[in-house]
Amino acid sequence: MWRRIKKGLEVRIGLEDLVNTKLKRYTVPRNTNIFYTLGGVALAAFIIQALTGFFLLIYYVPHSDHAFRSVQQIMTSVPFGWLFRLMHVVGANLIVAVVFLHMLSVFFMGSYKKPRELTWIAGWLMLLVVLTFSLSGNLLPWSQLSYWTTTVVTAMPTAFPYVGDYIANVLRGGEFVSGVTLNRFFALHVALLPPVFVLFLVVHIFLIRRIGLSSPPFGEQTAGSGEWNEYRHVSYPDGYSFYPYFVLKELYMVLAYLVVMFFVITFVPTLFLPQGANIPADPLKTPAYIKPQWYFLAPYQMLKLIPNKFLGISIQLLLLAMFILWPFFDTGRERNILKRPLLLVAFLASLLLWIVLTVWGRTS
Amino acid sequence: MRYSVMILLLSAAVLIGASMTGANYRDIFGKEFLTKPWAGGQVKESVCISCHTSDIIKPEYRDIPQEWKQSWHYQNNVSCKDCHGGDPDDAEAAMSPERGFIGTPDYAEIPQVCGRCHIGILKNYLESGHGRALKASKTGPNCVTCHGSHNIQKASIKIINEARCSRCHSYERAKVMKQALFLTEKKIRDIDEDLKRLKRAGVFTDEEDKTLFRTHVEYRTLFHTVNVELVKKSTDKFAKKLGLIEDKIDKTFRELEFRRNFSAFFMMLFTVMGIVVFMLSRTYKD
Repeated sequence: MWRRIKKGLEVRIGLEDLVNTKLKRYTVPRNTNIFYTLGGVALAAFIIQALTGFFLLIYYVPHSDHAFRSVQQIMTSVPFGWLFRLMHVVGANLIVAVVFLHMLSVFFMGSYKKPRELTWIAGWLMLLVVLTFSLSGNLLPWSQLSYWTTTVVTAMPTAFPYVGDYIANVLRGGEFVSGVTLNRFFALHVALLPPVFVLFLVVHIFLIRRIGLSSPPFGEQTAGSGEWNEYRHVSYPDGYSFYPYFVLKELYMVLAYLVVMFFVITFVPTLFLPQGANIPADPLKTPAYIKPQWYFLAPYQMLKLIPNKFLGISIQLLLLAMFILWPFFDTGRERNILKRPLLLVAFLASLLLWIVLTVWGRTS
Repeated sequence: MRYSVMILLLSAAVLIGASMTGANYRDIFGKEFLTKPWAGGQVKESVCISCHTSDIIKPEYRDIPQEWKQSWHYQNNVSCKDCHGGDPDDAEAAMSPERGFIGTPDYAEIPQVCGRCHIGILKNYLESGHGRALKASKTGPNCVTCHGSHNIQKASIKIINEARCSRCHSYERAKVMKQALFLTEKKIRDIDEDLKRLKRAGVFTDEEDKTLFRTHVEYRTLFHTVNVELVKKSTDKFAKKLGLIEDKIDKTFRELEFRRNFSAFFMMLFTVMGIVVFMLSRTYKD
């Protein structure tokens, strides 16, 4: 049976040639490290989010009168609904951590440099989509936590003079967060963001395959170094084959991701669901402390520290633009950050600042 | 590179420049942006609080808002208007009798004021020795005598104590009542603690909370008859009701235990699979 299917596919699409050229003969540098697998892990994390999200969508009711109750039904009455919801909630946080790590390692290894500027930009756009996923998904349970963090976040555009209120009103569908906001965020979360993410993903993967994987800048330089004046595919004739070597490496990192996810679900299931997440939204009762998700704590704390809010948000947008367009600022050929002390110090200082602001935002 | 840096610096200059204009807008916004809850505009501050924390009011009335903010009423959204009437949104008419303002109620009228919400308790209280004493002498114990006024705390069995009861009569009879209440009150307290634990574990306990609340209120109502025999006779009925809640809680704890074991199994499964795949990948490298 299996042999007949295989033969049928061989005749029609040249399966063996496809496997050989795209998987077995496609090689990766011999000195790839586990950080090279983070892109694949992020992809697996996205697939897990899509699958668990689909399951939740069957039972979730996107209406402010029923949303909270329907989520509680998923947690208590739907068979294994709790598992899918917790996987979705924990996964929503882990995917951000994985994408952050991926970006950091790409930056550290200088893999954003020519000819991979567009790959870097596509990656950044995916990170922004992931964060928008998180923002919109956060409101859907219609809990006190989700209601008030959305109130905080949708108030941020009002820092801009003249157009700020208009932007906030468009986001909320009115002056305050309401059922209209819930409908908007729901539509965004399930209908608009997934195809946008997939589009950027396709572009990202296409660019990686078209240009070829970059090799780590440390140790012996194998390929892709030197002048880059015309298109060429970077290949590693003496490298390891993508399948099975790199696929197995990806696989055990994906399994490590699942171990972390199930560790959280087993031992600290409420890590990302504090008490406010378990109380229905009450627009008339402002909780004493409203804190955004952990990955927004650094910009949140920065906003609190800068007295002029317009300036604070503007600086953040400028920093964001700078990170996205960084390959066009850093055009030098040297990829090894260890040979660039100034950039190394700036990188470590930025990372330290981010950690300090996050901890400060959490504790203040 | 040079052009990119110039564009970046120019954008920064434009943004900083723009931030220097329209200072009035930003000043107003700055005050509201983070120092207050971000949607602070939605919740108006009551004019009762504004006046009672200002210098225009007599010093002995200035502590009232602070006392109320520490109370069980505050935690349950019961505010000035609910007891004293009036209009907390209109400074001019806040204390207008036309808007239902009654100010400090007469001593003998206090049970009627509290009884507007605590209906069952009022009925039992009026029929009790306490209620009859108030009716007869206008000075007998009313709600405030035992519960206080603004800093009202969640009622518990601790409210029956020698210091409080012996202000009016000997403690003996109250002590017998306390003993009759003890087991049921303890059970209610234990269930309440269990529900808190479930909440911390991420379980929505709204239905159990409401059932417990109803049962507790019913029991407390009964207590206000100050009739020990009646309390003793009804204890079995309440024990049965509380037992049903306990069963539900036990079931939920067992479910949580199952979930923990279930996900722990997957965690171990993925760990073993990860180790196998890792070792397999090493052999391919070799």
